[in-house]
Parts: sequence; structure tokens; C-alpha cells
Amino acid sequence: MEEYPEEMRSPPVSLVSVVGCSELHSFISTHLHSLDPPINTLALPDLSKVSLLLPPPKPNPADFSAAAAPPPAGILKRDWLLKHRTKVPAVVAALISSDRVSGDPAQWLELCSEIDNLKGLIRGRSIKLVVVVVNSHSTEEISEDQMVAVRKRAEVDAKYLLTFYTGEDSQLKQSLHRLGTVFAELAGMYYRDEGRRIKLRIERKSSGPTDLNIRYSFKVAVYAEFRRDWVEALRFYEDAYHMLREVIPGVSTRLSAIQRLVEIKTVAEQLHFKISTLLLHGGKIMEAVIWFRQHNASYRKLKGSPEAIFLHWEWMSRQFLVFAELLETSSAAIQSISHLTAGTADRPLTEWEFQPAHYYQLAAHYLKEKRSSLDFAVSMSEGDIDYSAESVAPSSHMGQFARLIEQGDAFVMQPLTDEEYMRYAISEGKRFQDSFEIIALLKKSCESYTNLKVRRMASFCGFQMAREYYAAGDFNNAKLLFDDIASLYRQEGWVTLLWEVLGYLREGSRKHSKVKEFIEYSFEMAALPISADTGIQSFRFEESGPAGPATLQQRETIHKEVFGLVSEKLGLASTENGDDVKVSSTNPLHLEIDLVSPLRLVLLASVAFHEQIIKPGSSTLVTLSLLSQLPLNFEIDQLEVQFNQSHCNFVIMDAQKPLVASSTDGQSGHRRETAPSLRLSTNKWLRLTYDIKSDQSGKLECISIIAKMGPHFTICCRAESPASMDDLPLWKFEDRVVTYPTKDPALAFFGQRAIQVEEPDPEVDLTLGASGPALIGESFIVPVTVTSKGHEVNSGELKINLVDVRGGGLFSPRDAELSADSHHVELLGISGSEGEDESQLDTDEIKKIQKSFGLVSVPNLKSGDSWSCKLEIKWYRPKPVMLYVSLGYSPDNNGSNTQKVNVHKSLQIEGKNAISISHRLMLPFRRYPLLLSRTKSVPDSDQSVSMPLNETSVLIVSATNCSEVPLQLLSLSIERDNDDTERSCSLHGGEDLLNPALLVPGEKFKKVYTVTSEMNSSKLILGNVCLRWRRNSGTREQAGSAAPVMTNHKLPDVNLESSPLVVSLECPPYAILGDPFTYFVKIQNQTELLQEAKIFLADAQSFVISGSHSDTVYILPKSEHIISYKLVPLSSGEQQLPRFTLTAVRYSTGFQPSIAASTIFVFPSQPHFKMVAVGDDRKESVVAE
Amino acid sequence: MIVCVAVVGHQNNPLYIQSFTDADDALKLHHIVHCSLDVVDERVNNPKKSGPTLNETFLGLLYPTENYKVYGYLTNTKVKFILVTTDLDVKDADVRNFFRRFHAGYVDAISNPFHEPGKKITSKTFAEKVSTIVKSFGFSSTG
Amino acid sequence: MKQSQSSEKKRERERERERMGREVSESCVDSLLTEMVSMYCNRLYANKPELAASRIDAIGYQVGHQLSERYTMERPRFTDHLDAIKFICKDFWSELFKKQIDNLKTNHRGTFVLQDNRFRWLSRMSLDPSAENGDVSQENSEASAENKAAQVPNMHLHFSCGVIKGALHNLGIACAVSADTSHLPACSFVVRIKP
Repeated sequence: MEEYPEEMRSPPVSLVSVVGCSELHSFISTHLHSLDPPINTLALPDLSKVSLLLPPPKPNPADFSAAAAPPPAGILKRDWLLKHRTKVPAVVAALISSDRVSGDPAQWLELCSEIDNLKGLIRGRSIKLVVVVVNSHSTEEISEDQMVAVRKRAEVDAKYLLTFYTGEDSQLKQSLHRLGTVFAELAGMYYRDEGRRIKLRIERKSSGPTDLNIRYSFKVAVYAEFRRDWVEALRFYEDAYHMLREVIPGVSTRLSAIQRLVEIKTVAEQLHFKISTLLLHGGKIMEAVIWFRQHNASYRKLKGSPEAIFLHWEWMSRQFLVFAELLETSSAAIQSISHLTAGTADRPLTEWEFQPAHYYQLAAHYLKEKRSSLDFAVSMSEGDIDYSAESVAPSSHMGQFARLIEQGDAFVMQPLTDEEYMRYAISEGKRFQDSFEIIALLKKSCESYTNLKVRRMASFCGFQMAREYYAAGDFNNAKLLFDDIASLYRQEGWVTLLWEVLGYLREGSRKHSKVKEFIEYSFEMAALPISADTGIQSFRFEESGPAGPATLQQRETIHKEVFGLVSEKLGLASTENGDDVKVSSTNPLHLEIDLVSPLRLVLLASVAFHEQIIKPGSSTLVTLSLLSQLPLNFEIDQLEVQFNQSHCNFVIMDAQKPLVASSTDGQSGHRRETAPSLRLSTNKWLRLTYDIKSDQSGKLECISIIAKMGPHFTICCRAESPASMDDLPLWKFEDRVVTYPTKDPALAFFGQRAIQVEEPDPEVDLTLGASGPALIGESFIVPVTVTSKGHEVNSGELKINLVDVRGGGLFSPRDAELSADSHHVELLGISGSEGEDESQLDTDEIKKIQKSFGLVSVPNLKSGDSWSCKLEIKWYRPKPVMLYVSLGYSPDNNGSNTQKVNVHKSLQIEGKNAISISHRLMLPFRRYPLLLSRTKSVPDSDQSVSMPLNETSVLIVSATNCSEVPLQLLSLSIERDNDDTERSCSLHGGEDLLNPALLVPGEKFKKVYTVTSEMNSSKLILGNVCLRWRRNSGTREQAGSAAPVMTNHKLPDVNLESSPLVVSLECPPYAILGDPFTYFVKIQNQTELLQEAKIFLADAQSFVISGSHSDTVYILPKSEHIISYKLVPLSSGEQQLPRFTLTAVRYSTGFQPSIAASTIFVFPSQPHFKMVAVGDDRKESVVAE
Repeated sequence: MIVCVAVVGHQNNPLYIQSFTDADDALKLHHIVHCSLDVVDERVNNPKKSGPTLNETFLGLLYPTENYKVYGYLTNTKVKFILVTTDLDVKDADVRNFFRRFHAGYVDAISNPFHEPGKKITSKTFAEKVSTIVKSFGFSSTG
Repeated sequence: MKQSQSSEKKRERERERERMGREVSESCVDSLLTEMVSMYCNRLYANKPELAASRIDAIGYQVGHQLSERYTMERPRFTDHLDAIKFICKDFWSELFKKQIDNLKTNHRGTFVLQDNRFRWLSRMSLDPSAENGDVSQENSEASAENKAAQVPNMHLHFSCGVIKGALHNLGIACAVSADTSHLPACSFVVRIKP
């Protein structure tokens, strides 16, 4: 587009001329230029010099009659448009100073002649005239008469005689504005007139030479453009274009057909450019694209004569380039493509036709065509050197060339013959470096496609670009591109395309003596899935690349070449610097093949252990499987298998071959294995199985396999697990026999290249010698014994952990914050084995003891030795606990690198309550104070026990052994509370036990106290029961060692209340059958009120009763009422006395004495008692109860 | 004249590609087929709103090169068929018909129990069938 | 023109279906299925049930893969997963079993449950474990035979699951398929689409 003249590239702008008053010119031209649409100004300082601006008109060819006119020499005149844009004004404005108008007659006359002169020049053209009187002094008005005189003289309409005020800014602005309006109006009129004039000619000459009609249509279109009438411009450009198309069939018969065609194409190009620009400018992208498509279709085949074909390709290339640039600049094209792609129904438009990239690419394509045909043309014209080409220049018609012949001072244009023209064109063509241009075009296209994320098109452009670079010898740039493209083709499996790319890369590497790259590319090519019967037949390429045909044969050739190089028989014949580059001892070569390398095709190593876990020192099998897709068989000299544990590495040699080099096994004392053959055939696994063992526990992983081929060439191949092996790239699409890397299909599915080596079995016993459940409160001892049975124990460490069995943790974290002893179970300490120094143990060996965790170091033990310690654990709550003890040690004594062996033991220990303490509070025997709270309250709420005031009650405390072991009770006492509240009662019980009492499991120990409330308070605080006990371990020494455990039991507080009535039953301690006795019921009124009580005595079977069964009695305040009954027992034994019921009317409550209290033993006859020691008797009876 | 037909698999890998020219432009045709996949992607990812039928298997003209026209077809199973022809005036109906028959041939070929899904089609029967279809292209526009 | 074309197509399809109907006998398919399962479970991979299952699944996969290619011919491409699943439920099932799936449920997050109230490939199978027992125990011990008997219907279903999986994979939907036979003879297939 840049090579087009400026007047073609931009829309034309109206041109006006201002003459005279040069001081105003800059104002006017700036103003006019800023108008919309702008107006260009041609300024002339002096009215008298106007003839310079407008040369006298030449005789117009249109004046001749059409028939007589000679055929035009060309279609479009080269300078016509430029002339109209820069030289021929539409309007001429004569600026006349007001001084001259109103001045003396001499001035007026001079002015008149100048105006006449101007008029004369304009005559015959339709240029419009405007006269502007410049009034620089706003004060003095020019008289009307004078103005009329000027108007008459200039023969202009009153509208076009303006007064221009320069005095003030506002006036100036106003004047400028008026001037602009008039200019725009007149210019429009001028261009319309001109257009009409030419149109008339077209109509008149419709049968005349087409060339002229094309020219006229072009002119009309240009005039329309001046007027900004785009629609008409477009129409006439199209007319011209179509007419031009009609000229073409006659071209070949003409004398200078080549030049004629060049001219036509040049004109067509201009017309097309105008049309495209107008369409795109109007936002009609789709129309523009369709237009371009038609343009392309109608001219593509118009190649012209064969020797000039490069001109055609050049022209085609330019069409695409220009359209690409046009599309690119019209930004609308890029925004809204997606909804435009519909196209017409029968000829749908495709996506890329809206992309500049598409056109850039094709421009490059045609430029390549041009280059090759130019090269051909140059080679044909080789030899005939013709200097005459130098004097050839573009002639006055667009697309024509002529020879300039100097004739004195003037130059004369002499037409060229086609031969001369061709010589000129070829010599011109030779001046340009097309490949740079091609690369630039492709780069634009490639970048544009890349931005659109159109990878394959971009790659294709890149490929072409790289080929240009390659041809130009710029291998570095080419390699970058080729490598990039190759990865796409590899990924998508386009083998033939990849083959082609690799061919370039391989040749490039060869030329630049890059041995490693050369071998890599060669290997990859040789291993590509190309065979004769894949349907991709051998073809000779149109543009033959260095890869050669994609055939199996070619692969084999490459294979042989590489192996020749590797085995050092051949060198790499580098064309660059002539000398061979070899793989040798000074230039060894090492290739790495990882999991993503394209060279996996060349060598694939799969390694599978036959087991998943082994014991240290025991051996298992490992299978190495190698696969190659190289077309020919080849042999590996030596394989080295590398593991993460380097001592396992081993080397495999070919049994049939002599040792390659003794140095390899000398340097590393690795194991050497032999294989019957290390020969790899195409697509056939080479399977090798060997023993392997490791003494080191942990992961044993095969890292890589290094294949040595030839003395100085190695390939290091990353080992892959069969279970997680990816398919071979490219080959996975081939219809080939797929075999498993191992014979065993299960191993092929699940085999891994890594194995877990277990740690050695411990040869140390760890015993936890605890028995039975632990009792809450005691320090429970768990002896731990470490006994060596074959291993020495070095730097042993014992870890102890207490874990809640139910998983709830040993304490709640909230508790832990509050107090330290909220642990339910606590590891108190670890004591060493007996006889060891305790202090040393404390400082050194117990490293760490926490509430539930302990760490103890174990002294070094020889084989057969043992060591023990004791764990002291205390339970606070009944809770089962898991005790984990683990011993870690190293069996060898040589430093830190040896492995640790671990032994684990665990034991579940139940924590249980040893003793449960209960108590009972009893009223005095056969004495029943009426306690209102007791009768009224719900009977089951026993926490608020009430006691009558001023009575002596009985407290029985009992302790039961609920463990499974016998316990020794050391003491039982009731202590007051920790806080020093005074005891509000007196407790009397027997003195402490002198000898510890043995309590077998389930046995109960009771102690009786009498309680008398001392103070007149409503509450009685009894205190705590403190019980000291210990396990009864039988022997006396042990009993002494075990610390006594104190168990506390809080006695609840007792309410005191005064009872209004107290009923006492009195009867003899025993009765004798048939012997009557008296049964007194004493009701004591302790209130100040008269109490009414209903009494009722039920009948009893075993007694005969005398006395009233029911009665209502009144008891005076503070007095006692006695009711007596006479009873005669009728049967012997323990008998129930008649039930007595009392209802206190005032409190509307009644009570009955308990059944236990209302029994009496009836002897059949008078017994004979012998009184013995009272104390013993009482104790016995208490215990027996 | 049809110059090239191709079957392209899920990973945009060629499953079958056959050219029918005497000229030595097989590589060029491979490039053309490969590049046409971009348009297939574009069409599938940004379906035209005003297209004939949404999600029709026939994708229409993919792109015109200077000498060829490239048509595309995408099966429900995301296998692409590409047709390259030198005919400048091609009826859509012809192309549709071609693809329909081609698809049938393809289905028969891959229904062979010895054919592994996703691998190249090497069946000779398929190749013969394709060449028959290619030869009859344009003559059976009534179908 | 268009009408005749479509009716022509319909007739062609019918003819094809008839041909298919005649070609494959149902009992043959049943026998083949049974034989295949017993071959893989009892002979080839007697001790590796998971391996046997994966092999049977793979066979079904290929069958589904190829059938889906045929049955999706000449239909527009599916726009989403549900389209494809519906195709499986209706057309694909009809082609295979001459009936459609009875019930389709989805959680709208990639899990579909396809229920066939009377699954044809199970309808002729004896479901009494004791009957299976005698069959299998010829080669194996009593205990493992019982264990196998419980696996047998599941082994059969690996094939069907493979068919569904293969068909969906071919339609571009990566998924896992499992079967539930707790309500025999109804059978549910659970399709979990991998995100």
C-alpha cells in the first residue's frame, strides 16, 4: 500500500485558490483545512501572478469529434488525479484590499485589469470565482456603489462577493466562517459540474474506445469522491473496473501485449484499491471480502505470456498484501467477525477470509511464485547485458513505461517494445530481495494467527518461514521455528509433516556440525511410524525438502547412517567447514531420554520388580524390558542399570561379545551380569530378568538404564514402571501388535519400578509385665523388660504412650487449663531397674516425661542381656487405657548410619475403683420424731436428709471392696472439712482399728457413729470419711513398700429440724409366748400448742390386744401422752407388733414406725441369758448385721 | 475432482489420509488438511448463530485456498472428515452426499472387531470403498 | 423431494434394523456373555477377579465404542451431556434391547442413574446362588465358589457397564459406570461423569 502514490491512498480533498492579500493566507488555509470536510488551499500572493496558477487551457480532446480522435495512448493519465488534487482549484477567490476598491482611479483600473485577466483564465473552465473585499478597518465601510462596481466587473453573483473583516477577532472568525461556507458550496458545485460534464461524454461516447470510457468513469468517480458522494464514486469505480475487464480479451492480439496487460492490471489494481477502500470505509466488510474474492478470481488466471509471468505473481502478491493491510487498518474487521461469517448461501465466506493473516499468507505465497519464476526468467536472460534498461521510466500513462531519450534539453518519451520492457522488468526484479519480504509477510501472518490462537495455520506459516530462513542460510532462526512446529506435529501425530520438519533440522545440524542434534534428529526420524503400507505412499515432493521421501527405506538409510556415526566408522560430513566431525574419545556423546522426550521411540526402558515388598537381604527378581522402534536391528554393547541405592547398580554384558573395555568394571566394583544377547529388533521387547537384593530398608527404585553402543556413545534412558507407562507417542495411533513389557500380564499391568525394602526383624523381646486392673488412686506399676535375643541393643530408646481406648483423650483440654490434676490417667514416673543408681536415672536416662508420654533411653545391651524398668501410672477416674511401648534400637554399633529397628508392644489396662464407701443415717431406736419435711417431701429425694433437732442419731459408714484383689484397710475416720468451719455436731464412734483389716473382694466394712447435733442450726455438716488402704500383697515387706492410698468420701450435709411430736414405742426387749406384756406408745408434744392426734392400732395375728384400736387424743403443750396396750403373744419367733399409726391433725400428716422397729422376738419360754463382755458382743453384732 | 480425503481422530491425529492426484503435492495436501482442523475447532467452539443447522455434522466449506476447496464434517464422536477438492463450483448437496457415504464406510471399517478404537484405519476394504465414493463424486447429486 | 428422501431414509433404517434382528440371535448373545464371563473369571484370571473384571469391561468398552459410532450416524451433534445420556437411554438402548431405559435420574452434577426394569441380559440368568454353586464348584473349593457365585451377576454387568462407558467415551464424555442389581430383575446403571 505504501508504494501507491499519496493521491491514491487518501480520499481527495476539494481545492480552492486564494489570490492576493497574502497576509491572510495562513488564517484562511488553516481555517479551511480544519473544516469538515476539509478544503485545501492553494495560495498566490498576488493577483497579477494568477497565470502561474492556471495555465491557459489546452485544446480539449473532447472537442474533436469522436470518430476522428486517435485512439488514446493509455487508459489513465498518471498525473491527472494529482493535478486535480493539487493544481486545479475548484474555486478561485480574489482577495482585494478595500483600499484598492475605494482608492484612486488608477488603483481601480489596475484592479479591473487584474480581475479581467482572472476572468479570462477561468473562462472555458467551470472554475468558480469569488471576490473577497478585505476590509482591515472596520470603521470605514465600503460604499454600496463601490461594491456593485466590483461585482459587475467580476461578473459574480452577489452571494459570491464577500466582505472580509479583519479588524476584530469575532469579525475575523465570522468572515472566515462565511468564506468557508461559500467555498464549500462552490467547490461542491464545481465538482458536480465537472462530473456531469464527463458523464455526458460517457453517454455520448458509449460506442467509443473503452479506454476512454474507463478514464471518464474514473474521473466521474473521482469528482464524486471530491464531493464525498461515496455511493456514486463506488458505482463509477465499479463501472470502470467492469469496463476494464472487458478490454482484456483483446489484449493478446495486440503488438505489445505484455505491456498492455501490465497497464490493465495496474489500472485494475488502482480501481480495486479504490473500491475496497470505499467499501471498508463504509463498514461493508463482507462486501469488500466478496469483492476481493471476485477480483482475485477474475485476474488470477490472467497470467499473460510465460516470460512475464513473474510480473503476474508479483501483482497477485501485491493484491493480497494491500487487501491485508486495508483489512488490518479498518479495525472494525477484527471486532465483529463471528456474526459475519454467514456469507451468501451458495458461496459462504469462511472465517479466515476476514483475517488479514489469510491475505498476508497468500501474499507470501504469490511472492514465492514470483521469485521462482523470476529466477527462471533471470536464468533465461543470463548473458545479454542491456544497459538500455537504465533509461526506462514510467510514462505519462498509468502502468506504462517508456524510454527517456535526451534530446538537447528536453526528454522525449519513446515507447518500448515488449522485449525491451521485459529486460527492464527483469533488471528491476533483480534489485529486490524477495525472501526478506516473504519472511516478513509470513511473520505477520504467523503472528496474527497465533494471536487468534489458530495454532495449525500459524505453524504452517512458521514452517514456510523457517524454510525461507533455511534457504537463506539462517539456521538458528529456522531451528527455533522448526522445533516449535515439530512439537505440534509430534503432539498431534502428523508423521509426514513431522518427517519433513525433522528433515530440515537434521540437514541443518549436519551443515553446522552439530553432532548431538544431528544424531537426535536422525534417531527420531528413523523411529517414526512410517512404513510403505500406511497409505501414505512414497511421493516426490513438489518442493522437495532435505528429508527425502517418507519411506521405510529412507528410515533404514538414516538408521544406518547414525549407527555408522556412532560406531565411529563414519564421520559427519559437514558442508559448512569441510572437515568431518566424529564421535570419538575426545568427543564422546551422551543422550538423555526422559519421559517426554521424542526419543522414547528410539529406546524405551520399562523396569518392573516382581514383588512389592521384600525383606532386607532377601532377593527378588527385576525385569528390564527394552523396546525400540528403529527400523533395523541393532546391538547394545552394555547396559548399566542404576538404582537410587547405588550399591544395587549392575551392568549387563552381552555374553557373546568379548569385554568392551576393562576400564568400565574397574572403576566401579559393580555386579556384572551377562545376557545371551543384547540385540533389539523393531517393536519387540528385549526382556531381561535378574536377581536383586538390598540390605538397606526403604525405597529401592530403578532410576535409569544406560545403554552403551559403540565406544563413546551412550543413551541414558529413564526407567518407567509398566503400570504407569504412557503409550508410545505417534506409534500409539498405528495399527501394530502391542505387546506387554513383561510376559506376565499382571506384572505388565501393575508392575512398578520401585520396591519397598522392609526393615529387619527385631531380635529383641519387649515384655510388659503388668497384671490385673489398676486401682484408682494407687501408683500402678508396669514393669517393662527388654531382653536381647541375638541383636545387640545400641542407642536404644523406649517410647511410652498412654492413649485413651475410647479415643476421647485422657483429659479434656478445658480441664487441663484449669488444674494440673484433671488428668484421668497420668504417667507418674519411670524407675530404672532395681539396683541401679536412682539419681543417675533421673538426670540422664529419663529424657522426657509428660502426663501421657515418656521417653527413656535404654543402656547398650549385649546379646542375651536384659534390662528392665518400671512405669508408674496413676488413675484418677475409672478408665481403660492403652499403653504403647516401643523400643527403637540399632543392632550395629558402628555409627549413626545404621538403621533403627523398632519393636512395638501394647497393653490395655483397666482402671477401677477399689473401694466404694456408703453411709446411712438412722433415727434412734423406736423413737419417731415427726419430721414435717420428711413426710411432706417426695420420698425419693434423699439428698436432703433431715434429722430431728436435739436427738441422737446413728450414722453407719460402710466401705466395700469392689476390686478383685484383697485390700488392707489401715484406718477409717471422719475428718472435718478442709475449710475450718466448725463441726456442728459431735460424733462418737469406736476408736481406730489397731490392726489393718483385711477386706476380701466384695466384703464390706462398717463403722457406726452416733451423731448429736450441738448447735441450734438448721444444717449439720458431717465431714469427710477418710479411708486409708493398700493392696494386700501377702508378704510383709512388700506391704510396707506399697504406699497406703487415701480414699475420701464426702458425707452430705444434713438438715436439722425440730419435730412437733415425738412418738416413742416402748416394749420389753423380748416377750414370752403366752406371757402378756405392756406396749406403751408415748406421744410427746414439743410445741406450745395443743395437738390433736388420731391414733390407730391395727390388729396383729400373733397377738391379742387389749386397748382401743383407734382414738383421738389431745396432747397438751410440752407434755406427754401415754397410751398403753396389753399384748399377749400367740406364737413364738420374730413377730410383728401391731402396727401403730398416728395422724397429727394439725399438720394433717401421719406416720408409721418402720417395720424393722416394730418387731419383737417371742420366746417360747423364759430364756436364760448369761451376760458376758458387752464391748465384744456389740461389735460382733454390728459386723454381722 | 477430489484430491484428498482424510479422517482425523480425537487428538487431531490423522487416522486415514489419502490423496488422489498424480501431481506431487501430497505434503501440501497434508498441510492443507492439518490447517483445516483450525477451522473445525473454530466452528465447533463458536458456532454460527445463523448457520444452517446448529450442530449439524456437515460443517460446510472450511476455507478456500488458492487452488482447493476444503470441506469438513464432524461426527458425533468427534471424528473429523476432511475433503479437499479442486472443483471450483461444488454443490453443497454433493458434498453432503459424499460425506454421508463416507461416514457409512468409516463406520463399517471401525466396526471391524480387530480394529482398535483410535488407531489408524488400514483396512483395504475401506480404501476401496473410499476410492469408489471419490470416483463417483459429483455424478450422483440426485441422491 | 425432501419428503421422499426422508421416507427413503426411514425405510432404509427399518430394513437395517430388520437385518440386525435377523443377524444376531438373543440366546447367542446370552451364551456368549456367559461363556466370556466364565472364561475370564474361572480360567484366565481365576485368582484375580479385578483383572478379570477390567478385561471384561474392556471388551464391553470396545463394543460400546463401535456401536455408538454406528448409531449416532446422521444425527446432529450432541450439545451437552444430557443429550448424550438421553441418546443412550432412548436410541442406543432401543437398538440393543428393543426397549428404552425405563427411568433416568440425575443430580445435575454429573451423576446419572439409568434404570431398566427388566434388563434383558440378566432376565434369563438364574439368580439362585445354590444353582450357581454346583456349576462352579467343579473347579474350585466350596468356599470360594460361594464367593464367586455372588460375584457372577456383577461380572456379567461389567460388560454392560463397559458398553455404556465405551459409547459415552466415544461421544466425548469421560465417565465411570457402575451397576446396581439390588432390585433384580431391574438393573440400574450409575454413570458418573468425570469433571
